[in-house]
Amino acid sequence: MAERSTARRRKKVDEGASIPVETRIEMLHYMKLTREIEYRIERVLYRQGKIVGGVYVGRGQEAISVGTAIHMREDDVVAPSHRDMGVFLMRGVSPRRIIAQYMGRATGLTKGRDGNMHMGDMNHNVIAFVSHLADNVPVSAGVALAFWIRGETGRVALCYHGEGATSRGDWHEGINFASIRKLPVVYFINNNQYAYSTPQNLSYAVEHVASRAEGYGLPWEVVDGNDIVAVYGAARRAIDRAREGAGPTLVEFRTFRMTGHSAHDDAGYVPPERFEEWKKKDPIARFEKRLLEEGVVTKEKIEAMQEECVRIVDDAVEWAERQPWPDPKDLTRDVYYEG
Amino acid sequence: MSTAKPSTPEAGSPAGPWRVTCPEGLALDRLEQLELYHDMVLNRLLEERLGVLYRQNHVIGGLYRSLGQEACSVGSAWALEDGDFLAPMIRNLGSLLVRGVRPVDVIAQYCARAIGPTGGRDLNLHFGDVSRGLVAPISVLGALIPVMAGIALEMWMHGRPNVALTYIGDGGTSTTDFHEGLNFAAVRRLPLILIVENNQWAYSTHVSKQCRAKNLVDKAPGYGVHGEIVDGNNVLAMVDVVRRARARCVDGGGPVMIEARTFRRKGHAEHDDAGYVPAGMRAQWEARDPIVGYRRYLVEAGVVAGESELDAIDDEIRASLERDAETVLAAPFPDASTLTEDVYG
Repeated sequence: MAERSTARRRKKVDEGASIPVETRIEMLHYMKLTREIEYRIERVLYRQGKIVGGVYVGRGQEAISVGTAIHMREDDVVAPSHRDMGVFLMRGVSPRRIIAQYMGRATGLTKGRDGNMHMGDMNHNVIAFVSHLADNVPVSAGVALAFWIRGETGRVALCYHGEGATSRGDWHEGINFASIRKLPVVYFINNNQYAYSTPQNLSYAVEHVASRAEGYGLPWEVVDGNDIVAVYGAARRAIDRAREGAGPTLVEFRTFRMTGHSAHDDAGYVPPERFEEWKKKDPIARFEKRLLEEGVVTKEKIEAMQEECVRIVDDAVEWAERQPWPDPKDLTRDVYYEG
Repeated sequence: MSTAKPSTPEAGSPAGPWRVTCPEGLALDRLEQLELYHDMVLNRLLEERLGVLYRQNHVIGGLYRSLGQEACSVGSAWALEDGDFLAPMIRNLGSLLVRGVRPVDVIAQYCARAIGPTGGRDLNLHFGDVSRGLVAPISVLGALIPVMAGIALEMWMHGRPNVALTYIGDGGTSTTDFHEGLNFAAVRRLPLILIVENNQWAYSTHVSKQCRAKNLVDKAPGYGVHGEIVDGNNVLAMVDVVRRARARCVDGGGPVMIEARTFRRKGHAEHDDAGYVPAGMRAQWEARDPIVGYRRYLVEAGVVAGESELDAIDDEIRASLERDAETVLAAPFPDASTLTEDVYG
């Protein structure tokens, strides 16, 4: 199976240089903004007791959401997972409303009705995350089916999920349906090696879980999810294929969950040396180093970018803290669509 | 149905006209080879007899035929050993017969008589017999796979050198339970044999609308499972592939998925005329009849002196089925006073 991987067959071509400079800077910005907002939520606001409910972050996995969502067109639709803060930011969801969401305020995306990443925003074509992992696989196949029925050629749906979700029946049924109908949807597998506390080897018994694509007659690729240039290239190939009407692709990003499942989980089940190993592969530090070497940015520029991210998040937190809690009289609103 | 292209076995049969051949390394004695013949014919004639009873209104509920698929059921069940467990689907009557279920019980079950295995409470092949290592089929397709993975887990936990075998159709490979059950068995390297009985029609859905991969067995490597394609109409090939799968499972090699290529020559059930099946496709598979092919093999290989020996077996089966039908028709329906019995164990 592995021998048939397109990733293995493809010659090592450095695609980084072909990415426009402004796109490279934009990707670095969004990775840094993702990390900053998640840092603030998980390490500051959560510990101050200001967050309502749990906190799920994608620290160390920022390259995946940013390097894929960068290819989205305005009219594309995305179904992110709970590790894809970068997708929300890149789609234009404001950091203010994201913080308000985490703080349970009336101006959060779910108006204080739900917490954390359980949010969507159809104004930005972001489908709300479904807690039951892999449920967004058939949902995004349905989105792509709608594009197909309406003849909206070139429009694509993107779907993100973890490696644990690939063991779910919904995943199987959704991928199978999308493959038979050759729908314009791309499936991104964020393989961060732990499904809560379940390691890969107890999740599946194959080297690359994306190789399951063969059983659905689909192409697949496995790339380093901590290298945004590799993510960018693989995502572009898969999205182009879907836009051209060639059907779905399974893209697996190898990465590592640098935290517990959520903020309450110390991940004591993960051997500590694994964190050390993956810390060296940090996607932001790697990309910064690369851009410095290429002369695309300077140390000062990186510092300025960081300060900008801090400013954006400062503003968001300040704004969110001033927002009202939901009013009990609105309790029954938004249960059914009100037109 | 213009997209439904005829599909034929690509493995297990040599070039030229289709015929039953003996896989290399498979050595069966005369009695064993005749036993396989007997069970396939019993499978077919019992279903034919049930077809008559159905038209006479003696059968309650549906009748699900396995015409042309007898080799798959009989060969696979025959390759198992004592202590192994098997869970049939609705078309695996042959598997039950091989495991020792009596034809009279099957007829009584179809006719809902009190003497049947479920005492008239359930119908057709919806019964099990744990003493024979038979798990009752579950109508919801795919659900047997996690069940049999659970039985295989029990075998593994107790270190028993046994296997659990079940079947799934081409349509059932698209279900949730198929995926979750097979993945679980693969991760735990359980002794599970999954026979994908590809008869090409899931009710009225052709396999080409079920899976975009070339072969259903292409799904196996994605689970880390060993997969093989076999000519499902060659009973000897079925025996051989399941024996090898069994050895692999018992050795700790993990589950095996076998795609048996065959064809559903009747409708989904007796009420369905299968008008959606292209005529040419059915004719092509009629020429691959597993019993006709095996008869020719037995004669040509010198297992029997002539066809008359085989005809004698057929006649004996017919006569015994007549006696069984008489027994059933003379038996009572369940008594209403027993209604609440057997609800709980």
